Amino acid sequence: MKKPLLSLMNINKYYGDFQALKDISFDIYQGEFLTLLGPSGCGKTTLLRCIAGLEEINSGDILLNGQSIKDLAPNKRNINTVFQNYALFPHLNVYDNIAYGPRVKKSMTEEQLKIEVQRVLELVQMIDYEKRMPDQLSGGQRQRIAIARALINQPAILLLDEPLGALDLKLRKHMQTELSQLQKKTGTTFVYVTHDQDEALNMSDRIIVIDQGVIQQLGSPREIYNNPKNLFVTEFIGDRNILEVEVLETGTDATKVKLGQNELTVTNSVESDKIQAGGLGILAVHKDKMQVSCDPQPNSIKAEVVSVHYAGSQIRIDVQVADLSLTVVEYRTACPCKEGDQVYLTWIDGGAILLPLEGQVNQEERGLA
Amino acid sequence: MKSKTNRFGIFYLSLFFVILYLPILSVVLYSFNASPSTAKWTGFTLDWYRQLFRDRVIGEAFAISIQVAILTAIFSAVLGTAAAMVSLMVTTKMKQTIQRMMLLPLLVPEVALGVSLLIFFNALKLPFGHLTLVLSHSLFCVPYVYIMVLLRLQEIDRSIIESARDLGATKWQAFYTIILPLIMPSIVTSSLLAIAMSLDDVVISTYMSGPTSTTLPVHIFSMMRVGVTPKVNALCTLILVGTFFIIGLNQYISKISKNRGLSK
Amino acid sequence: MKTLKRNVLAIPFLIWFGLLVGIPLVYVVVLSFMSRDHLGNVVFRFTLENYQKVFDPIYLRVFANSFLLALLTGFITLLIGYPVAYITSQLEPKKRNLAIALFMLPFWISSLLRTYGWVILLGNTGLINNVLLALKIIDKPIPMMYKFSTTLIGTVYMLIPFMIVAIYNSVDKLDRSLLEASYDLGASKVKTFFKIVLPLTIPGIAGGFTLVFTPALGLYFISDLLGGGQTIFLGNLINTLVNRGRNRPLAAAFSVGMILLVTLVISIYGRITKDKGEGLFQ
Repeated sequence: MKKPLLSLMNINKYYGDFQALKDISFDIYQGEFLTLLGPSGCGKTTLLRCIAGLEEINSGDILLNGQSIKDLAPNKRNINTVFQNYALFPHLNVYDNIAYGPRVKKSMTEEQLKIEVQRVLELVQMIDYEKRMPDQLSGGQRQRIAIARALINQPAILLLDEPLGALDLKLRKHMQTELSQLQKKTGTTFVYVTHDQDEALNMSDRIIVIDQGVIQQLGSPREIYNNPKNLFVTEFIGDRNILEVEVLETGTDATKVKLGQNELTVTNSVESDKIQAGGLGILAVHKDKMQVSCDPQPNSIKAEVVSVHYAGSQIRIDVQVADLSLTVVEYRTACPCKEGDQVYLTWIDGGAILLPLEGQVNQEERGLA
Repeated sequence: MKSKTNRFGIFYLSLFFVILYLPILSVVLYSFNASPSTAKWTGFTLDWYRQLFRDRVIGEAFAISIQVAILTAIFSAVLGTAAAMVSLMVTTKMKQTIQRMMLLPLLVPEVALGVSLLIFFNALKLPFGHLTLVLSHSLFCVPYVYIMVLLRLQEIDRSIIESARDLGATKWQAFYTIILPLIMPSIVTSSLLAIAMSLDDVVISTYMSGPTSTTLPVHIFSMMRVGVTPKVNALCTLILVGTFFIIGLNQYISKISKNRGLSK
Repeated sequence: MKTLKRNVLAIPFLIWFGLLVGIPLVYVVVLSFMSRDHLGNVVFRFTLENYQKVFDPIYLRVFANSFLLALLTGFITLLIGYPVAYITSQLEPKKRNLAIALFMLPFWISSLLRTYGWVILLGNTGLINNVLLALKIIDKPIPMMYKFSTTLIGTVYMLIPFMIVAIYNSVDKLDRSLLEASYDLGASKVKTFFKIVLPLTIPGIAGGFTLVFTPALGLYFISDLLGGGQTIFLGNLINTLVNRGRNRPLAAAFSVGMILLVTLVISIYGRITKDKGEGLFQ
């Protein structure tokens, strides 16, 4: 059993009457890339700030290498943060920005500092920018300096708060690659906050999905993507059709459900003990794991084509079953259909999951549906 | 249509500015007039300036004004900056209270303020002089420092300070390595304004001057009441030159701070 | 408990305010109800005599003069200053910055100097009369000094930068697309100005008016130098009562009256800007 680097134990955080974090517990291990993923306002940034010491927690404990750090001021924690807007000091040049940490802590001589600044500038590929002022740098460059400024302190953990949020799409993709390479090269533990599932799925070793201050699911990107544990994660991660179905018959391996006039067998289900024959359930199918056929297929949904869009390499087909709308995304189609055609929809193995309906009530209450 | 309104607009503006600066320029002009009367221009002279430099009383009044102005500026810079910092730390209610209190001295007519201070200091048996002058001038200088520093402080991104703490700075280190350099231009600029206002004040100073501490404006005012003499013109012209020096200094400082990326 | 602790930090400031503004103002109010002995010294005996004097027709006239002066100053600075602010806001950036610098500069320049400039311009042997005489437009100097209107010129001149800055800030904040929308919908420039610009800049006008009105009540050196004491204003009266008459309780009563007048104007201002979400107290 590996010893955790950082342990969060039953963290609760209130702002007045509002509970931002509810009983959060998990461990972070040396050298991993952990992502906190969730919609805005879910508490992920608050959690990050609690780890950094910028917010106080109301109860629970935070252990770094087994020592409680919850009462330490941010400057006493061996943890550094890369802020969303980079927060470079506008009156200091790149060199002085990076040298700031060692200087205030008086942890290095000026000669050592010179070598160290060079080292981190090399890491983020920003050599020769020492004399620049922050307002002479582009967004991506500021980003790198902010990371270098944190890395020079050799933190046990580097916290990154939506660091790519302010960059344009192309640069964001590029920086994703660069960040994960940097993380591997330095071996530093990264805790990364984002609301962007692509970012999370691309870079992380593990992902923690948070909503309403509660951990919804913790797991590898693959687990989270393929086997969401509840409706929230199902909806939030991946692009799925969410359909209300009648449950006809439950079984150990497969469940029979009815969608419109179609009877279907679903092999994958979540919280199956809450799914009962005669009740209602939610069928969630990845849009890109469905196929459109012109001829009847086993275990398929008969639907009417509403519209067909050609978007580059993708074909998006909107269809209607009873009063439900679905979208299928295909890259090559076996059935060149058009508006008004009858088609049959199937999904590839494991593409569909059945969930109990109760979650949906909450979801409507939140107005997210 | 558009150019027509523009031309009229430019004409109106130009006329306005001519009238705005005409009185000031005529004061300067007549300071070089050889004749003691404004009736005639009898030639160029620097005599009035020579007389001015020989005038002991004016010299003393000037020295007092400068001392008072500098002390006022320092006092106001410290108190105004502290109040601005504090108002970001206290409760919202207290912040509003501070803001309202800061506005009050600017809203109460100076005569009423001057009279109230005169009566109050009299009752306290406080000797009128440098102390009373500096305290009373701080009334209209502290609010300016407060407002300008507060505006700057509110511009500073909170995460910059958090970032300093995160990188290992103590609260005090974060203050003098980050916050202070960032608000310094506002402190300096508003202190210069405080010097200019203190040097210019007549109304409150009239009440606050002691028998041996007449400020320059109070003295000039009494000279002006006696009548038009080119010596007053010369003195006013010198003050104008001093004013331009302060403005120049102010511009220079804001330019430097811009180059250092301090202001947007 | 924690918030109380934070508020402790405000104590030095509160002391400063209390000692220099709070207590003196309360003391003035107290003094305005006090009497004097036959030597003119203040005696702590309650009386309403001072306020009765304030309502004496002679003194009431002083109030009226001051009120009229401040009101006229407000209106004239508005009439002259509004176009200055509006035209400035329409200029291209370079010219605009120059214009802003030009109307801000007088803030820094000695107010005595600026007042004295008018003495030199308007005197019987002043610049204007000299020029007119030299051009033979007139054959004897026009007396322009020592009138109510001379004082008015002085206060307008002294305070117009405040009005312009207040209005400029308000005009500058106007969303340009609003004007474009108005033109687009068929309104003329004049109509757009009266229907869109003017209503939206009312807070600025009210702010400028407040900034001009208050000092106009008390700038006694202007009426001293330009008005020559022909018309007596509140500022001069209080000044005289304190310095020469040594009647401090009466001076206190007039100061209280002056403050009440200002409070009235400010509360009107507060009401105007209250719904608009901008103003001095936000």
